[in-house]
Amino acid sequence: MRLCHISDTHFGSGSHFNRQVFVDSMLGITKEHFDVVIHTGDVTDDGRLEHFREAKKHFDELGLPLVVIPGNHDARSGGIAIFEEYLGPANGVKVIGDALIIHINSATPDNDDGRVGMVKFNLIKEALSSYPHLPIKIVAIHHHVIPIPKAGRERNILSNAGDLLDLFLRNDVDLVLSGHRHYPNVYKVESTVLVNAGTLSGRKTRYGDVNSYNLVEIEEEQVIVETRRIDGSREQKRYPRRCQSFFHDFGRRELRLVHMSNTMITEGRVFLKKAFDSAVNTINSLDADLAIHCGGIVYEGIPEDYNLAKRKMAKIKVPVLYTPAGRDTNYLGFHLFTQSFGPVTQQFANEWVHVQGLASFQYDTTIGIIGETERNTFFSKMRSVASAFRVMFLHHNITPVPHARERGLLEDSGDLLRRAVDEGIDLVLTGTSSHPNAMQVENTVIVNANSLSCIYQRSLFGNSFNLIDIYEHCLVVSEINSLWGARRIVGMWGRAQRES
Amino acid sequence: MSNSVPNIYDIDMPVRAFVTKRLIGIDSKKSVQDAAKLMVQFDISSLVAMEGEKVVGFLTDADIKRKVVAQGLPTSTTVDQVMESHLITIDIGTRVRDVLGVMSEKNIKHLLVEDRGVITGIVTFRDLIDIERHKLETYISRE
Ligand SMILES: [Fe+2]
Ligand SMILES: [Fe+2]
Repeated sequence: MRLCHISDTHFGSGSHFNRQVFVDSMLGITKEHFDVVIHTGDVTDDGRLEHFREAKKHFDELGLPLVVIPGNHDARSGGIAIFEEYLGPANGVKVIGDALIIHINSATPDNDDGRVGMVKFNLIKEALSSYPHLPIKIVAIHHHVIPIPKAGRERNILSNAGDLLDLFLRNDVDLVLSGHRHYPNVYKVESTVLVNAGTLSGRKTRYGDVNSYNLVEIEEEQVIVETRRIDGSREQKRYPRRCQSFFHDFGRRELRLVHMSNTMITEGRVFLKKAFDSAVNTINSLDADLAIHCGGIVYEGIPEDYNLAKRKMAKIKVPVLYTPAGRDTNYLGFHLFTQSFGPVTQQFANEWVHVQGLASFQYDTTIGIIGETERNTFFSKMRSVASAFRVMFLHHNITPVPHARERGLLEDSGDLLRRAVDEGIDLVLTGTSSHPNAMQVENTVIVNANSLSCIYQRSLFGNSFNLIDIYEHCLVVSEINSLWGARRIVGMWGRAQRES
Repeated sequence: MSNSVPNIYDIDMPVRAFVTKRLIGIDSKKSVQDAAKLMVQFDISSLVAMEGEKVVGFLTDADIKRKVVAQGLPTSTTVDQVMESHLITIDIGTRVRDVLGVMSEKNIKHLLVEDRGVITGIVTFRDLIDIERHKLETYISRE
């Protein structure tokens, strides 16, 4: 299967549409063989009839099967109806060759944010189960489901990105194609490759980039993504389609980490004392090397809560590293945190591992931010310990969490994720939205923790914390129920062998 | 069998979403004591028996109880002496209804699952009747 992925053509009469680049790119595309061309939205700049008509004329000239979805710009001026009249249904399923292509309209009228409602969510689910024997599964959706870099402060993302990503991963979708950000980006998450296209012919490129499109080849055992820029440069990534399934050679256990968040210690019903006390007993019996608390230590940043938290946390007989959530720093919280638990960025290092905290909190808000300067400082520090197994931890999640509304809580999550992955950070620990979740993005394993002892939590397994065992050859993440100590494996990944 | 399962979920779904795709294995020449230790270590009740990278059997804690302890066999008994080695493989696209049918017909509670010709996981009877697995998705965007 060889497909051409174009996006964000932005047909229009204003200066946003670059006609010359469009014509040149289309000429390049027609010279090659493709099984299908997939356009991931923003066909037009403002959803107007004459521009849909013009786009259709050009697409027809391609003479190739075309799958096209609307973007937020097509939804302007009531454009979805016109879109459907000229370019076909905005949502649907197509079988081309041995590939199932599900295309979904995530645009909302006169709003740049994306949404996939219940009916469409079910459409995807049903489509995935209706063609169980097709070996290739592709989803096209304008808005990205995982944060992408160079997005500036725009952190709007699909509100149910966590559930969508979970659905894609559990059904082994091979390829998810998106646009919107006008910046090409590729990630492999578990066995799914998520590709963002740049803009084909819009003038609003980002960070000095030029117009581009992607070529994707899905072979029996690998997926090849090539970004082709109008300046002639090509960037290629290759990914195996399968993940390791069986783990029998663990090797030595190098490190055992306890990973927790949202203990929400306070007097009152929000804090589940029994869950906390049982969890502490379990933790003390696990022979862990280190515990990491990803924030949400107290319910409020007030002396009463901090006094209790200090007494309660002291029961853990393993060294604990902390990073505050916004909540921990409210009111007098910032002072109380440093007084009770130490600096806002903490670290642990031995000859084998380097664990480094990253402060993402802001006062009086659940929204987090790192900022470019912080990020650069952080990663230059991580570079200086590049031979160690490198763990970073912060409060805010950087990949979407299922069962939670993805509010894009960390303003620069796209840049942080890209950087962590590119720098080869081995493990990222976070603790927002109170749902346990683990996935591997490229070679970086990203784990979110559930609430350990707060009545507000989202796991069907109940309040829990994570146990992360790092062996010579693999990494095992389990969730341990706070109250009962029952253990459930959340994920396992082989470790890339590094040359020493 | 499939008809006697309460119709609480969609049994026409492909089994794919219920397959455990990450499994812990043990060299089939190792002892059942090693196997038991591994089960305790990870708090699990079954292991995949392997010869190199090849899956050759399946071992549950019930096998150890029934075929080793109750028979008075030593803990040095090897995994391949007591493991279930008659494994049936199904395709990952098989519908839950048909998977339950195979389990009932052959009287087995676990099946190997292959995806495009390669064994990539296991599905157990418990996975299929675990209602929570069917409830996993929510629809936050309903608002
Ligand atoms: Fe766009
Ligand atoms: Fe857009």
